[in-house]
Amino acid sequence: MGKKRKHSETQTVELTKKDEGAPERPKRTLLGWKDKEEVQKLTGSNPDSSHVFRNKEKVMVTCSRRINYRYRHLMLNVVSLLPHCKKDNKVESRSSKGATLNELIELRGCSSCLFFECRKHQDLYLWMAKCPSGPSVKFLVNAVHTMEELKLTGNHLKGSRPLLTFSGNFEKDAHWKLLKEMIIQIFGTPKEHRKSKPYHDHVFVFSIVDDHIWFRNYQISVPHNESDKMVRGGLDKMTLVEVGPRFCLNPIKIFAGSFGGPTLYENPYYVSPNQIRALEKRQKAGKYAKKVKAKTRRKMHELSNPLEPDEFADMWRE
Amino acid sequence: MGLRGKESTLVAENAVEDDDDVMDDLSGQESESGSESEEEDVKLAEPSKNPIYNRDGLIEKLQDISWPENVEWMHKLSLDIDQEKEVDVNDDLARELAFYTQALEGTRLAFEKFQSMGLPFLRPPDYYAEMVKTDVHMQKVKGRLLAQKRQIEEAEERRKAREAKRIAKEVQAEKLKERAKQKKQEIEEVKKWRKQRQQSGFPAGGKDSELDLGFEDGKAFERSSKKRPGVSPGDRSGGKAKQGGGKGKNMKKRESRNSKFGFGGRKGLKKQNTAETTNDIRGFNKGGVAGNKKRKK
Repeated sequence: MGKKRKHSETQTVELTKKDEGAPERPKRTLLGWKDKEEVQKLTGSNPDSSHVFRNKEKVMVTCSRRINYRYRHLMLNVVSLLPHCKKDNKVESRSSKGATLNELIELRGCSSCLFFECRKHQDLYLWMAKCPSGPSVKFLVNAVHTMEELKLTGNHLKGSRPLLTFSGNFEKDAHWKLLKEMIIQIFGTPKEHRKSKPYHDHVFVFSIVDDHIWFRNYQISVPHNESDKMVRGGLDKMTLVEVGPRFCLNPIKIFAGSFGGPTLYENPYYVSPNQIRALEKRQKAGKYAKKVKAKTRRKMHELSNPLEPDEFADMWRE
Repeated sequence: MGLRGKESTLVAENAVEDDDDVMDDLSGQESESGSESEEEDVKLAEPSKNPIYNRDGLIEKLQDISWPENVEWMHKLSLDIDQEKEVDVNDDLARELAFYTQALEGTRLAFEKFQSMGLPFLRPPDYYAEMVKTDVHMQKVKGRLLAQKRQIEEAEERRKAREAKRIAKEVQAEKLKERAKQKKQEIEEVKKWRKQRQQSGFPAGGKDSELDLGFEDGKAFERSSKKRPGVSPGDRSGGKAKQGGGKGKNMKKRESRNSKFGFGGRKGLKKQNTAETTNDIRGFNKGGVAGNKKRKK
């Protein structure tokens, strides 16, 4: 391999060569050959970046230990949907969850993280965090259907860039806007990613219904005959087939830091699943007590209002 | 799923409340905390403390993490679709329909954008690459779909067969009634003819041209032209073997069974009263019957 020449070196060489009257060699950049004037024009237009915007998002996907099979499959499905993710080993996290995870993310060189935490083998919590200093969100995941269910019949290219659709009420409030931005960055495949495939054949749906974020993934299927041309009249015949997975996110808290930090938002309607289970048990426990109470009440009532003596009581007596 | 149902009922009850300025609702929420223990569906809207809503902090963080303003749409690929009406969470079909329409709208918009930019959008049918679900899985899906279709078809067929049977029965009943009516009519006509003849005093000769006899056209003694099975005495199948004349699988079944187990043999012609058997006295009185002497013959 030849010696790597720094940019500055080539610059000085060219400047000296200018005097000789030879035509300038076009400057060589990562994106191809560029003439000097063009480079100057570009740098003039966006002074903050000397190159075009490149999405270098990398997501780290991990889970906690003792995760359920269903949720593990969900995590694997998510890994297959995002070609810009890195799957990591299970995290044994009890006490210092935030620190461990932050370290792991730095180690892998990722910029965001999806952490699937399963509690009591029953409840799945999803943490979505932007790594170095970004906000993080904790969701409770409900209504999980994985891609392996035979009812979800669609299929699409692995790694093709998805179209992200958001319902209108993402703009209604600040915390929804923040969530939308995080979702775009995490779930959207970067444009010229190595593992991404060219065409767009699936759509993600994120919509807010009843203060929950519902996720759906559909395959775009249009019957078109020509091999490469786009559809001519087929826009009306476009159908969507569901690919999966499906889940529903209930935001619990938004933190300012990554996996910690001051709380920015707390969902007032969130009830933890433990509380729900406790309530149900209490209801059931109350049944017997209620019955006993009802019995004693009836007895008191009977004692206090004695019946009139029945005229016909002795009719059939022997 | 049960968990979600419970949660959604809990949340649905609060859907009426506005969650934008939760601080104002605090007074209302605190009054409900007392009735918490009695109600089943509890409105747990943070009765004791204010839910944190740091709007400025949120917006600040948003500014922090957003991409620069002049990023092309191609990087984000995000579309905002406005929903016109509120969807009830518990109505599965409506909810899924809403999601579907949202996706469809989004795809149409994206498609138009792509067309205006001149970029390829859909996958051409000859582009083969790794798919997100394996071929084996897709075959299972196909198998299940086919099985479903077959079930539906079978149910249809069974229903049709039942209907056809019912109709056939009705038609048969009609035919029997027709026949009985016809018979009755003919008898009536004979009686009438006799009466008429009696009344008009038996004229000689068969010149009854005035009388219109319904039964004289000679058709009364005609039976239906359908062949009745002529059963031969030794036929085990009761006449049905020749009837269809090789009707589909029955004949094939019969033939295969015949070839395997041999033809059953004629029915019961072992003992019969024919001329030969009557005159056959080989089995009688062989060499003096050694019977009971005391028995009167």
